[in-house]
Amino acid sequence: MKYKYKLKPYILLTPVMIVILGIFVTGIVMGFLQSIGYFPIVGLKDFTLKYYKEVMMSKDFLSSLIFSIYISFISSALSVILGVALAYLIYRKKEKKGVEDIVFKVPIIVPHIVAVLLVYNLLSQSGIISRIFYSLGFVSSQNHFPSLLFEKNGIGIIITYLWKEIPFIGMVVYSVLNNMNNKFSDVAKTLGANRRQVFFKVTLPLIMPSIVTSFILVFAFSFGAFEVPFLLGPTNPKALPVKAYIEYSNPDLKHRPYTMVINMILTFVSLILVWGYNKAFKVISKYNR
Amino acid sequence: MKKLICVLMIITLSLGIISCGKTSQTKDDVSIDKWEDVLSKAKGTTVNFYGWGGDQLLNGWIDNHLSKKLKEKYDITLNRVGMNIDEILSKLLNEKQLNVKDGSIDIVWINGENFFTARENELLYGPFSDKLPNFKKYIDKDDVETKFDFGFPVEGYESPYGKAQFVMIYDKMKTQAVPKDHKELMEFAKNNPGKFTYPAPPDFTGSAFVRNIIYDIVGHEQFMDMKADEDTVRKAIQPAIDYLKELKPYLWKKGETYPAESTLLDNMYGDNEVLMTMSYAPNFAASKIKTGEFTESTRTFVFDKGTIGNTNFLAIPFNSPNKEGALAVINYILSVDMQASKYEPKHGGGQPVLDSDKLNEKEKKKFEKVRSSIGDAALSQEELLDHRLPEMPANLIPIIEKIWMESIPNK
Repeated sequence: MKYKYKLKPYILLTPVMIVILGIFVTGIVMGFLQSIGYFPIVGLKDFTLKYYKEVMMSKDFLSSLIFSIYISFISSALSVILGVALAYLIYRKKEKKGVEDIVFKVPIIVPHIVAVLLVYNLLSQSGIISRIFYSLGFVSSQNHFPSLLFEKNGIGIIITYLWKEIPFIGMVVYSVLNNMNNKFSDVAKTLGANRRQVFFKVTLPLIMPSIVTSFILVFAFSFGAFEVPFLLGPTNPKALPVKAYIEYSNPDLKHRPYTMVINMILTFVSLILVWGYNKAFKVISKYNR
Repeated sequence: MKKLICVLMIITLSLGIISCGKTSQTKDDVSIDKWEDVLSKAKGTTVNFYGWGGDQLLNGWIDNHLSKKLKEKYDITLNRVGMNIDEILSKLLNEKQLNVKDGSIDIVWINGENFFTARENELLYGPFSDKLPNFKKYIDKDDVETKFDFGFPVEGYESPYGKAQFVMIYDKMKTQAVPKDHKELMEFAKNNPGKFTYPAPPDFTGSAFVRNIIYDIVGHEQFMDMKADEDTVRKAIQPAIDYLKELKPYLWKKGETYPAESTLLDNMYGDNEVLMTMSYAPNFAASKIKTGEFTESTRTFVFDKGTIGNTNFLAIPFNSPNKEGALAVINYILSVDMQASKYEPKHGGGQPVLDSDKLNEKEKKKFEKVRSSIGDAALSQEELLDHRLPEMPANLIPIIEKIWMESIPNK
């Protein structure tokens, strides 16, 4: 009898697990095998670590890795700071349930590729803002408008991510704020704390776990995403997913292990982030008890 | 009882998922010797056409024109799937690895190094092209461009689909004199700093631009039988790499970054951010004027020494479930009517592949009529053919792209 109850969740999960294990895990295993040089259909049969060595020693790969980490970190950190501020402002506002709630959710449902188009139309040197500046006489020619896209600092990519992710973090934090027990802040206020102290000493620690988890989510996403850095990034350095794609599109199939090494590294970083997410999540459930 | 049913349902569901995809059966090989049999077997079937879907005009031609005619004439339903060729090849390779006998692709639009890869891994069905009635009737079998695809023998595994040639595009109101060769292009870039660039290889057009520069500087003959070895290639193209390095500071954004896709460069040209764009389709500019994206004064030009041209092809995957349908469609694409309508600017203006010597007067008229409607933006067929250089062997191209990536944007 006991057995049955222990087994039940696993039985219920079987259909979906078959899909996940069948597609997802097979994919990873195949990728891993190819990354260590086992790809029999094109005649690669020897297990070797030389592809890992070659990829990790190359300057190109290192600059791509640093570029990817840099973009993801800056955009996630800024998104967290601004997203929390946004959520707090909306939460503090007395007469709410108005437009702002809907407006800040809009970017979440817009796909990244559309966000790229938006940013391109606004910020490129022939874009809307550049044209407005030019016609107002702020810049002497459209080419003198600061170049924000396709450059080595990844400003265009970061702006796109900010536009998408600030509302996401705002939404997460906002719902946590709404469900938070107000008694703590009330107590703090009666004890003489001002608004700033209430925020930093009471509210912020309470929402901290959800901030950490949403930071990890957003970081993991931007670290593995392809379309934004592909369309708005510089030719060099390339973000890691873009580099993986370009290696993958090499028509020489014997080149495939290099792609898979990069993919394995992306997977590895994601696994670490999942682990961190789990840790953070445990902290949250402790708070909510 | 309820629980038991529940558990049983879950088990059946899981089994269903496991067993799907294993239903494939081996099909008998097609016999193409009797063309009537092929057509009768193709009747009422669906043909899945996979290929690059980035050209709206060409997509429109397939979706509206070609498929309508196919339905009327042969009762074949054509289903176009836009997919990049590397994804198509991966799909085929995976299907081969998993031994899927009945795949989902019937026709694939393929060319160059991808054909080389597909042949090397035995992903294609064939030989078939010399059995097609229209191929026998209209195609020049001895033409180098029919026999070889980027230096690699076709051997009947592909049938010609369209001809292309690299051209550069400018606005004659803004640029009075066009550069005749690489030296004048350098002058042009120096006189108009920040107003010229090219897409970053491995973008198809950008890669072709780099090869054109190489041809213009060191000639094309030596590459035709060059060993695909990095040091050999590097030595041969060094003068061109030096040239591109010298060009770099005068490019858009000082050459620190390049458009990732040729469509982006087209946009930048349309927005007046740069003075030139480029294309591997000679009538591209004419089509873009028709859609209003380029100015009326847009024109095309080629270097005096010529530019690279190639033929692109259609092939049938090894596991196509409907080979008869694929053969019927490919044969129909080689008809005068279809080649002429594909040539129209509103359909993308793809250069016809039929041999004009094999056409009768009435058929020739059809093409002439289309040619006269293209307008001044495109170069004439004669001028293009006079300035046509062969593509280099496919396996040199990834090496050149790698060298470019290491020595140009990095430094």
